[in-house]
Amino acid sequence: MKRAALLLLPVLACAQDIVTRGLDVYNKTCASAYCHVAKGASGGSAPRLAARGFDEAYMSQVVRRGIPGSAMPGFATSLSAPDLAAVIAYVGSLNGIAPAPTRAAESAPEKQLPPDAERGRELFFDSVRGFGRCATCHEVTDRGVPVAGSIGKVPATARDLRTLATPQIHTATVDGESFPALIVSHGNAQTKLYDLTSPPPVLRTFATATAKVTDGSPWRHSDVLKSYGDPDLELILAFLRAVATP
Amino acid sequence: MRFLLLFVAVPVMFAQDGATEANWPYHGGTQLAWRYSALDQINKANVKKLAPMWAFQTGDYEMGLQSTPIVVDGVLYLSTSRSQVWALDAVTGRVIWQYKYPMPRATTPYGPQNRGVAVGDGKVFLGTYDDNLIAIDQKNGHEVWRVSLDDIRQCGCTITAAPLVVKDKVIVGGAGGDSAHRGYLTAVSMKTGRVAWRFYTIPGPGEKGHETWKGDSWKYGGGATWMTGSFDPALNLVYWGVGNAASDLDPTGRYSGEGEGANLYTASVVALDADSGKLKWYYQEVPKDVWDYDSAYECVLVDREVRGKMRKLLVHINKGGYAFVLDRATGEYLNAYPIVDNHTWTTGITEDGKFVGRVEPVPGKSTLICPSALGGKSWNEMAYSPRTGFTYVPALEFCSNTTVVPQEPHEGRGYFGGGGPMAPPPDGPYRSHLDAHDPVTGKRQWSYPYKYPLLASILATAGDLVFTGDPEGFFFALDARTGAKLWSFQTGSGNRGSAVTYSVNGRQFIATPSGWGSIAARGMSALWPEGETFRGGSTLMVFALPEGTR
Repeated sequence: MKRAALLLLPVLACAQDIVTRGLDVYNKTCASAYCHVAKGASGGSAPRLAARGFDEAYMSQVVRRGIPGSAMPGFATSLSAPDLAAVIAYVGSLNGIAPAPTRAAESAPEKQLPPDAERGRELFFDSVRGFGRCATCHEVTDRGVPVAGSIGKVPATARDLRTLATPQIHTATVDGESFPALIVSHGNAQTKLYDLTSPPPVLRTFATATAKVTDGSPWRHSDVLKSYGDPDLELILAFLRAVATP
Repeated sequence: MRFLLLFVAVPVMFAQDGATEANWPYHGGTQLAWRYSALDQINKANVKKLAPMWAFQTGDYEMGLQSTPIVVDGVLYLSTSRSQVWALDAVTGRVIWQYKYPMPRATTPYGPQNRGVAVGDGKVFLGTYDDNLIAIDQKNGHEVWRVSLDDIRQCGCTITAAPLVVKDKVIVGGAGGDSAHRGYLTAVSMKTGRVAWRFYTIPGPGEKGHETWKGDSWKYGGGATWMTGSFDPALNLVYWGVGNAASDLDPTGRYSGEGEGANLYTASVVALDADSGKLKWYYQEVPKDVWDYDSAYECVLVDREVRGKMRKLLVHINKGGYAFVLDRATGEYLNAYPIVDNHTWTTGITEDGKFVGRVEPVPGKSTLICPSALGGKSWNEMAYSPRTGFTYVPALEFCSNTTVVPQEPHEGRGYFGGGGPMAPPPDGPYRSHLDAHDPVTGKRQWSYPYKYPLLASILATAGDLVFTGDPEGFFFALDARTGAKLWSFQTGSGNRGSAVTYSVNGRQFIATPSGWGSIAARGMSALWPEGETFRGGSTLMVFALPEGTR
């Protein structure tokens, strides 16, 4: 009996920890701005969360994925796994659900990139560079704009990245103006292409009869990499290698 | 003699024309944003006979219908929250075309909402929830171009505002300034979709004003441009309101204490050269904002006499419940006055425009702050009538018990720095009012009180009428000179959008979006039990006088 109580103590402490952590995450993430208010009470712009009869599966789904088409965002990618588990435990505690102490330990560990690749990731998505960042044209790890196709073979060096062959880029001529173009579709009636004159690319649609497309273009990958130095590009390549799917 | 009389009777202030006529070509009516029409077929004498002609159900009622329709040559263009656009015959409501943008799966706390399209160069321009700007062929609804201005999954930002057509460009702002995000305004060539310029509302390293930001805080400092600006063709200046700094309530991470102003150019009105996007002047309304007092709202451009001299003015309302009167050529401060009865965050403003007696929220305890972060006025737009010389301003008497909760910035994630529940104002119950003001002095001419928040924009007409709608679903007309209610119609759902007027073949129509929703609307049921019964919807209601009415 005594032994059982001793065993129970750390479990309770752990359960309490996760709710406390969840409270902190909740106050900073959910009970902020125009959304929910403290303790899941009513009075905010977003609905009351306390005593709503939520079950764990529902909370987990909504907290991770959000409610599409509503103002409730999903936090699957923006909160760490332990924070997600904690905030679900906290909202659960407002709905009479005792936290499962093992839950935090069960959740998947956060995927850590090696330091070089992590720095490369930051550079790839660096919003300070505006339209000069890689993510203006490339989607990687579910971020960025998928103008170019998925990155297949990662170039070996920064030099290779700058001098990348781009045979898929053509020259379009419309109303007497020629510009570099990435063709999306070229049918009998309609031509869809990305105008690459200057970043960001513009997806334009023309009647095929009005748009002439010829092979080759003076467009160079190096022209849109100007905000990066070679050491930056090496880090970006390390990131791309780290996330490349074999 | 008669000619001479006419000549003399035209007052100087009519020299500038911000009135619409047959068309409603811009979000604010004209580029001057008066939300005023010269049409007077429907007027004080006959408005009682105003009758519904047709209704259009969009089928998309998420977050209500918050849009302002655009009307050009008998065709009405209407957007809905989930980025759909309809072209409708403005006389019959017949669908000419529909454009449907695929809604992204990504979400933000701001929710999907869209406040209107712009029309120019044979195209209809739509900003999308996931930060694309789309050009749609005005004739057939086919997409002409689309350009991605940001990535919602990274920035946590969206486009909700109507774009503004200026010369050969279309200019659009972004929402997301309560997230860790750096705001901007983007101008795009109407013809090609290529970005012509981008103005970051937070100066980068080496730019003037950058010193007002502490460390790296400028990267995530907010400054969203989430409503629609104005344009003065004579000065070639574009005017735009810039939102709050982030984190909203906690300045410790962002306020450097250096330079003039604080966290520039947040909580400011900026004037930009229309061709280059270069800053001509700025005026920061609330330096060191710690209340989420955006300056993002409309800029109404009027020419009026100030202290005996005709001035080109910009009238602008800040969420803190004050209206500002600026010289729009220079940015010179001329006056400010409260539009709300309750403003506990300040004891007042000095003659040169400095707020004194500031009451700031703190960590660890709640502080009553009026107006609430919803603003002394929400984004729904005021109107200006050159006939009465009044602005018509919807005001909210709502406070909140606010607590600071310091946060660390994570790009694209909420970065508000606190919050708190709504609280009634010290002088009575929650309420709102629509007031007629002298736009220069702020003298209230009349006031229309209302028990719930008035959250629809205002339309003024040369028929000396002022139109707006309420959460209970009533769309109504007031006498522009006295505020007396002259006509009312139950539209079936609360009004959150913006009414417009236009004429086709000599017949005047009034169109209003009906459909309760939006962030502000969501909180209603917490304040009034009956708020639960305010149903959502998304219908455009169109009215005219029955044939033969005089």
